[in-house]
Amino acid sequence: MAVFAVFQTTFLLALLSWRTYQSEALSEPLPLTPESLKVSINSTQQCLHLQWSVHSLAYHQELKMVFQIEISRFNTSNVIWVENYSTTVKWKQVLHWNWESELPLECATHFVRIRSMVDNARIPEPRSWSSWSSWEEVDERNSLGHGALFVFPKDKLVEEGSSVTICSISRSYQNNVSCLLEGVQMRGEQLDPNVSAFHLNNVPFIRETGTNIFCTTGRGDGTGTVLFVSKVLEEPRDFSCETPDFKTLHCTWDPGSDTGLPKRQPSQSYTLFESFSGKKILCEHKNWCNWQVAQDSQEMYNFTLTTENYLRKRGVNILFNLTHRVRPMTPFNVVFKNISDTNATMTWQVHSIGNYSTLFCQIELHGEGKVIQQHNVSIKVNGNYLLSELEPDTQYMAQVRCGDANHFWKWSEWIGKNFSTLEAAPSEAPDVWRNVKSEPGYQTVTLFWKPLSKSHANEKILFYNVVIENLDEPSKLQLHSIPAPANGTKLTLDQCSYQIHVTANNSVGTSPASVIVVSGDTGNKVEEERVNVTEDGFSMSWKPQPGDVTGYVVEWCDHPRDLPCDLQWEKLGPNTTSTVISSDAFIPGVRYNFRIYGISTKRIAYLLEQKTGYSQELAPSDNPQVVMSNLTSHSFTLSWKDYSTESQPGFIRGYHVYLKSKEGECHPGFEKAILPDDSVSCKYKIYNPEQKTFVVENLQPESFYEFFVTPYTSVGEGPLDAFTKVTTPDEHSHLLIRIILPTVFCVLLIMIICYLNSQWMKEKCYPDIPDPYKSSVLSLIKSKENPRLTIMSVKDCIPDAIEVINKPEGSKIQFLGSRNSLTDTEITQPAYLYLLPTEKNSSGPGPCICFENFTYNQAASNSGCCGHVPVPPEAPSQLGLLTSPENLLKVLENNYMNSLGEIPAGETTLNYVSQLVLPLSRDKDSLQTDPPVPALCSEYKMQMAIPLGLASPPPNEKSSVSSVTLLDQGEPHH
Amino acid sequence: MRAQLTQRMLLSLVLGLLFLSTAATGSCSGKYQGLLEQLRSQADYMQDTSRLLDPYIHIQGLDTSGLKEHCKERPGVFPSEDALWRLSRWDFLQILNATLGQVLHRLTTFQQDLPQLKDLGMVMLYIRGFQSNIHCMCQLLGSSSEAAKPTQASPAPPLPTLASDAFQRKLEGCRFLSGYHHFMHSVAQVLREWGKSPRRIRRHSPRQALQKGAHGTHLFSRGRRLAPSGQLPW
Repeated sequence: MAVFAVFQTTFLLALLSWRTYQSEALSEPLPLTPESLKVSINSTQQCLHLQWSVHSLAYHQELKMVFQIEISRFNTSNVIWVENYSTTVKWKQVLHWNWESELPLECATHFVRIRSMVDNARIPEPRSWSSWSSWEEVDERNSLGHGALFVFPKDKLVEEGSSVTICSISRSYQNNVSCLLEGVQMRGEQLDPNVSAFHLNNVPFIRETGTNIFCTTGRGDGTGTVLFVSKVLEEPRDFSCETPDFKTLHCTWDPGSDTGLPKRQPSQSYTLFESFSGKKILCEHKNWCNWQVAQDSQEMYNFTLTTENYLRKRGVNILFNLTHRVRPMTPFNVVFKNISDTNATMTWQVHSIGNYSTLFCQIELHGEGKVIQQHNVSIKVNGNYLLSELEPDTQYMAQVRCGDANHFWKWSEWIGKNFSTLEAAPSEAPDVWRNVKSEPGYQTVTLFWKPLSKSHANEKILFYNVVIENLDEPSKLQLHSIPAPANGTKLTLDQCSYQIHVTANNSVGTSPASVIVVSGDTGNKVEEERVNVTEDGFSMSWKPQPGDVTGYVVEWCDHPRDLPCDLQWEKLGPNTTSTVISSDAFIPGVRYNFRIYGISTKRIAYLLEQKTGYSQELAPSDNPQVVMSNLTSHSFTLSWKDYSTESQPGFIRGYHVYLKSKEGECHPGFEKAILPDDSVSCKYKIYNPEQKTFVVENLQPESFYEFFVTPYTSVGEGPLDAFTKVTTPDEHSHLLIRIILPTVFCVLLIMIICYLNSQWMKEKCYPDIPDPYKSSVLSLIKSKENPRLTIMSVKDCIPDAIEVINKPEGSKIQFLGSRNSLTDTEITQPAYLYLLPTEKNSSGPGPCICFENFTYNQAASNSGCCGHVPVPPEAPSQLGLLTSPENLLKVLENNYMNSLGEIPAGETTLNYVSQLVLPLSRDKDSLQTDPPVPALCSEYKMQMAIPLGLASPPPNEKSSVSSVTLLDQGEPHH
Repeated sequence: MRAQLTQRMLLSLVLGLLFLSTAATGSCSGKYQGLLEQLRSQADYMQDTSRLLDPYIHIQGLDTSGLKEHCKERPGVFPSEDALWRLSRWDFLQILNATLGQVLHRLTTFQQDLPQLKDLGMVMLYIRGFQSNIHCMCQLLGSSSEAAKPTQASPAPPLPTLASDAFQRKLEGCRFLSGYHHFMHSVAQVLREWGKSPRRIRRHSPRQALQKGAHGTHLFSRGRRLAPSGQLPW
């Protein structure tokens, strides 16, 4: 017991002394220097790893300390990093610390030292640092091998957009290292004579196989490294969870970009952690994960979805009540029951989501691709709904989806099915109209009807029945069955009144009848009016009809230029007095005619109004064929009466008459206008479309004009055609015509009269020459001079002398065939010129004997021709000169002078010159160049006397004798 | 361009069918010329760099200036053309078969690393078919006296181990494919010579005749290099 007491005392003293010692130790700075500092390199992480311990700590002592770490690069004085690391240190604990270097650690020697300081609040400040540990050097360059050039880091994995430092180590000081990033030179920084650094900021993702960096020295050595750049790990989006049955939770999210790199970094992983239960699962899929709902009635769930790769970790969180995240499974077993022509009952089933849960279901009915009905219904397990107002014989598709009625979250998937309603008889009467043409003794009724809409036909229409009831004789009925799809029929009826019933029939039944009445009455004629056109169509109105009208019908043709014209109609109620007719068939430039009928209570249609118009007027398409007439020197008339205004693409409002003249000035009424071809013309406007003639007046004679007539509508005028050219005649030409024509007429008249009275004229002007044998002279000659004298035949006569009668003042006589002239010869007695035949004339008839013909007067001889006078052959050109009296005189004078020397002088008074038949003409002015018929002297037809004046030339040497011409029958010239 | 593509596709199809038919039936044709013609056509097909080398260069991003020049065949990996000329037919086929086996092994690693190299699977199939034809030709030659001749050929050396860093592996792959295409070009040249004189044993190429005695009988020369980016010397 005493021993125990001593031991106890000793222990207490020892404890006291230890406590005292401890208190003293804490009150002073403790020399807790870090020891056993070791530095290593993690090349992959590019980290310096430090580990050390504090040996001075007492057993089980825990002390909060601060360690200051210094890192130098290349040499100890180049401190690049200082960091204080605070931690609680335990006895014999080995401390670790990592430092990630921006510069690859292989490229530089690093030095590390550390010191410590106790960080205890009970120790008053200032606290003191321990002494530094010795520098620890880390240099990887010694273990690189024998290569000439090295590039670091190797195969570094970074995120897109991060910054990276590449360094190169060259064994030689003279090497000039250049590095290319994907072929592009990088700018470097010389850290050491052997070390260069290249800083890359915001590195891009180029390819999954990595970004190539290639460095070379000036000597051609080269090496490189690959920088693996991955996409940035994104935070999952749209993370949500839902349950279809309270058994499983289906969580989905949008993962974003895949950060995986083949052989370098797998795709990011996803884990789901629920904080209330503390459960965690690794999701097999990148965008969804299933979570088994616990059976312990856990309602609240707090999920954290975490995604990570080698470089980054991200997470999103959702907190929800399970009952608020119910999305029912897709309904099933959809069936249609009790299908009729207009109704069907739809039934379906849903998967249960709990004993007391109610589902809210939505039903959609689709017809022809559109939603035509939508209904909502609440159900427990089995659902049904009556679809009504359906069309007979129609195919539909109905679909249903459901959601939680208590806490609606999302709809289930749709489930749908097709069904068809049953067929039914057509529900409406066909829309019927007619066209009646009355002919003598009968009428042709063409019935038209429109096909029933699908909703009214209820099935395919098979045929139409047309029942014709004679109202005058009700017992007479006709039935025509027209097979579909005909839309009309033609009936030939007599002039009686008929009531026509038209029904449409399908396989189920007959539609209500459409009734129409036609009567033999042709109806009244009304005046046509123009219809207004709006953007919506033809707007027309009509006066309300007094009395009972059951309705109105507007009728028109969609294609009025075609046959058949595609008759259209619109039926309107009795209170309607206006409508707008529109049709896709309406095209601009076509005139449409509308007829408005009133339907009486007896169903007879009678014409009320007629209207016409264009959906859009156009300019005239062609110009009239203009006929010009009444052309004078000052005007002409244009007419185009054949031009039809009805067929034009617009209402013709008038005409433009264009006139061009050389002067360029416009006549009154015309105005200057510029034509589409930029030429200038004068334009006259005719405002009356019915005026189809125009007189162009005030023109200049003998002037050139061009005209052109074109119609115009409200849109514009017709196309520019060629101008017609016209030249006005001379101002007097018509006057001349007025004079010449009557004159010619008169001359002709006179000539006719003269011809008719030619015998009379002949007798009056040219009496027959008396027959010499019957002349009284003959008897006288016979009795006085020569009893042997007989009548000489003309053909035996050769003229050989001309009797010249000398005048008192004297004249020169020239004998034929002689060049000697006799001058100053006094001839007081008549002398004869003897006409001697020439050599050429030797073969001719014999010479004639000249004699005096007392029955012939001188005046008559003046009108004759001297053509029978022989002309010397050497002077044929003188013939032309004989046409005038002066020339004749000259010729005579010359010939006379030539022949004077051979012919004895005679009397100078010439009574008879020659006797010769003039076979062709009596005109003294005309000369016959053809040789005459040698019938000279055959008959004594003509006689000529040279007048005395002509035979008495002026008193000079050359023309002192009377002119005498000898006849030359061999060379006859007239 | 489109016509060329179509022709290429057609040729590929025909050759593929040829390979497959031989490999699938397992029976060898007894006609020397027909078999030789197939081997020649298949060698021509496999020397086409657009099958492997060009896509590889593109996928690895080596088609940039500075890197193209370093994508050259590494000497000693494949038997040189001169060495192939010196071989007996039977030895030639043995060496060819062994080399293609190594090529197949290497291409298998490519298949894992580069799923983007789409034609790789088809090329490997073709190589297997080519090996079947080699087998058939060996059988055909085995019955002749040539088969009994002693061989001077050494077996194909093992392929070098893969480099540790990705950059070197890229270049090594490129050089390997370049050597492969060049090797198949040499094979096609030798097979073409076989067609000219089916009964004549040609031991020396004209070029090699000048170098006779200088290089001994080494299969893998170190002097020849292939042009980069699939441009083979013709």
